[in-house]
Amino acid sequence: MSKQRNELLEALKALKKSVWVFHLNTGSCNACDIEILDVLTPYFDVERFGIKLVASPRHADLVLLTGPITRKTLPKVVNTLRAVPRPRLVLAIGACAVGGGIWYDSYSVIGGVEALKKVLEENGVEIDKLVYVPGCPARPEAIIYGVAVLLGLVKPKVKAEVIEAK
Amino acid sequence: MYDMSLLKPLKLIRIARRAGVVTVRYPYQPPLITDEFRGRIVIDAKKCIGCGACVNVCPSNALTLIDDGDKRILNYFIGRCIYCGRCADVCPVNAITISKEFELATDKIENLNSRVVHQKSTCCSCGEERVATEKMISYVVSRVPVSEAYAHMGSNCRKRRFVEGLMLGRGMLHVETEK
Repeated sequence: MSKQRNELLEALKALKKSVWVFHLNTGSCNACDIEILDVLTPYFDVERFGIKLVASPRHADLVLLTGPITRKTLPKVVNTLRAVPRPRLVLAIGACAVGGGIWYDSYSVIGGVEALKKVLEENGVEIDKLVYVPGCPARPEAIIYGVAVLLGLVKPKVKAEVIEAK
Repeated sequence: MYDMSLLKPLKLIRIARRAGVVTVRYPYQPPLITDEFRGRIVIDAKKCIGCGACVNVCPSNALTLIDDGDKRILNYFIGRCIYCGRCADVCPVNAITISKEFELATDKIENLNSRVVHQKSTCCSCGEERVATEKMISYVVSRVPVSEAYAHMGSNCRKRRFVEGLMLGRGMLHVETEK
């Protein structure tokens, strides 16, 4: 455990500044938002890692995006992401943000971050790094792990698998 | 009179000591996972027969069947999975288990796909029509009293065989025999 801790402390040194996050709900059911609030409470206390919630996207490094991105919120999402200074980091939290969730083919949503990428490209908004955090809702630990993956502190565990059935 | 406001911090220390430290040391300490917790599903490729029962019940279509020539691919996209566990309930061979794995964050969406590739069998009569996966046919033959040849036959060939038999019986079709 001490070796693991030393590795993490080494990795934390690479991080020059704290990460300030902006919470962006794009039509989610609020479960992921409650989990994000859990992360910010003293129980998980991410301020010990320097992660702090800010009220304006202009102050933020990282956008915590939840929800399947409804058509109503799409222009606001594009505007918000445009307001974030570079480097622009996005954490797609929950099944809805990653792949559209159970609404992936609904008429009123655009279906997650994959569809949003195209819209952002048309509008000339670049995202520097995007990390997917699956879960319905994503556990608070999973969100902390996602931020660690985004900052390059840990390597992602999950890998694409192709298995032949015999 | 003493100024009581100077003693306020002492009061706070007393209250803070009563509560103690509540923060979990998550990265250095295993997370609290109960028995009821459901994480990602794991498909055992050895057991899976490729019947597609899990695909039918999946509410978010995280599990999909892709028919690609002589292959039938069961694709599991973790990014859309809502961890309801219906697939594990409905699986006839218990190939799907619900794991406790939840640290699934990744920067490449391709990493969230896991696939089980099945080989499809061909119709034993015409040799063209793809019927089902090899494992599914052997599962059916072991459970239901049908011959293996009939189970391997495609639906078109079954219809043709039935109609031909009917016509033979009524003398509408003459079987050409070699002389």
